[in-house]
Amino acid sequence: MHRHAARLPPLTERFAQATKAKLRTVQDYFSLAGRAIGFIFARPFYGQDVIQQMDEIGVKSLGIVLLTGFFTGMVLALQSSVQLQTFGATMYIGRLVSASMIRELGPVLAGLMVAGRVGSGIAAQLGSMRVTEQIDALNTLGTDPIKKLVTPRVLAALIMLPILTIINDFVGILGGNLISSLLVGIPSGLYWRTVWEQIASDGFTLHFIPNDFVQGIMKPFVFGGVISISACYFGLNTTGGTEGVGQSTTRTVVLSSILILILDYFLTQILLSLFAP
Amino acid sequence: MIDDPRDEGPPPGDAAAPAVETPPPTEASSAPAAPEKRDQNRRSEGRRITERKSENVRAAIRDELAEDAPEAEERQAEKQAHGESDAIIELNHIYLAFDAPILEDVSFVARQGETICIVGESGTGKSTILKLILRLLVPEKGGVCIGGKDITSLTFAEALEVRQTMGMVFQGAALFDSMSVFENIAYPLREHTELDDDEIEQRVREKLQFVDLDPDRVMEQLPSELSGGMRKRVGVARGMADNPQIMLYDEPTSGLDPLTTGTITRLIMKLQRELNVTSVVVSHDIRSVFRMATKVAVLNERRIAFFGTPEEMAASDDKYLRDFLGGY
Repeated sequence: MHRHAARLPPLTERFAQATKAKLRTVQDYFSLAGRAIGFIFARPFYGQDVIQQMDEIGVKSLGIVLLTGFFTGMVLALQSSVQLQTFGATMYIGRLVSASMIRELGPVLAGLMVAGRVGSGIAAQLGSMRVTEQIDALNTLGTDPIKKLVTPRVLAALIMLPILTIINDFVGILGGNLISSLLVGIPSGLYWRTVWEQIASDGFTLHFIPNDFVQGIMKPFVFGGVISISACYFGLNTTGGTEGVGQSTTRTVVLSSILILILDYFLTQILLSLFAP
Repeated sequence: MIDDPRDEGPPPGDAAAPAVETPPPTEASSAPAAPEKRDQNRRSEGRRITERKSENVRAAIRDELAEDAPEAEERQAEKQAHGESDAIIELNHIYLAFDAPILEDVSFVARQGETICIVGESGTGKSTILKLILRLLVPEKGGVCIGGKDITSLTFAEALEVRQTMGMVFQGAALFDSMSVFENIAYPLREHTELDDDEIEQRVREKLQFVDLDPDRVMEQLPSELSGGMRKRVGVARGMADNPQIMLYDEPTSGLDPLTTGTITRLIMKLQRELNVTSVVVSHDIRSVFRMATKVAVLNERRIAFFGTPEEMAASDDKYLRDFLGGY
């Protein structure tokens, strides 16, 4: 027992090593992010790959985003109608649904859905490429794997996630409209007028872009970067064969989801202070 | 054709097998002897079996070398024609360690048109040497020179350029599974040349024919639709697509049947003979090694235990080499 304990390095040393390893991981993560974003502006451009990834990340995620957005909007309208009825303020359902969807639920839901569907897919694909030596093959063929594989995915996610979020917001508000007109009895015209009042009440950037939209678009832009870089990082660093691929996909979804929720809070703090009415 | 009926024969190791399985009759089978006497008999019997096995291995290797004798002579003539100065790949006193040392004081030179085969037990760092040549790894001590230029101090971008002069064939072929065979072979051409689509297609067809595959049949297929041997051949075609000066092979014949092993071995020899590329082959298949190697490097305990021609290896009395060859 004592002999075994003596062979182990002291606790402080183990703690220092573990901290160093974690810091190195963070450094590698940001280094990958920096290189991937830097390569967006450097030749050669893999335009075809970017379009293919935009299809993979954006178009193919449309179904789940439409579905989640629509039902979230409907449930928001349903819940708020119950609460607002007690104050006789059901006419404000549109304001509540629009503020919740555009500022919070739209970006976060789209982010979580894409993290689950696309993040895991990217990690699995790059992880499989790593364990079957295809990443090494790219390297030996004189291609930088980050430029060829990571940059198109990051760029596609940065473009497509805000677009998916806009669609998600719109479909969510539409779902709210359906419930408020069918179950609560608020005319569609009034609903959409209150939606617009809410959007306009927070002011405009450059006199014509509603501040709500700016907030709503900034978040998915960051989330797109977080999801794609996390997926590529875990995918490229996959070790241990097919089991390793499974671990990479799990880590990607867990880390992306957690980062989305944590960053959402801090981004909200920053954006609220920037766009305070 | 690359396929050769000679490839169907058993590997040299197999020739030794009957000697072990059918030992000559000994006194042990006659009158009962004292325990000491019995031990002595058993020891002398063991020695005889080992000697016979060793002799069988040598005989098999001699046969193997005789089979390719004209090529061996050609190799010798080529070597004399090139002289000793045109080193294409040079490893100088390489030391590499991760958590533990991987390679220690590893040095060898590959000259123009030579095929260097690296053999050794699993986990001795054979594939690591290929990664050093490709500059996917950088040694802690020592240098790697490609075409007389030290590549250890290059930047990542410069290293990518150096890699374009090399072709690599991976153990599992490492074809891009989302691309067709055509796209796989065309990939390095699209990346690094200004060839137009027609020229690329012509080059791809040419390379597929070189590796004995029918372009019209396989070009549009996905790697998952090919057999193991075909995948390896496509891997060779991709490696040689941009006409590299150096070809590197990581276990090119592992997991293949004897006929396909012969086909791949002949292909590597054809590449060396017709295009005069310098090759480094990591292999476990000693029969193939003896057929194609100009020089053999044997790795043992992180160091090069032997570096010389297959003939010198076959003639060596070194115990480790004898054990190593006897294992096949």
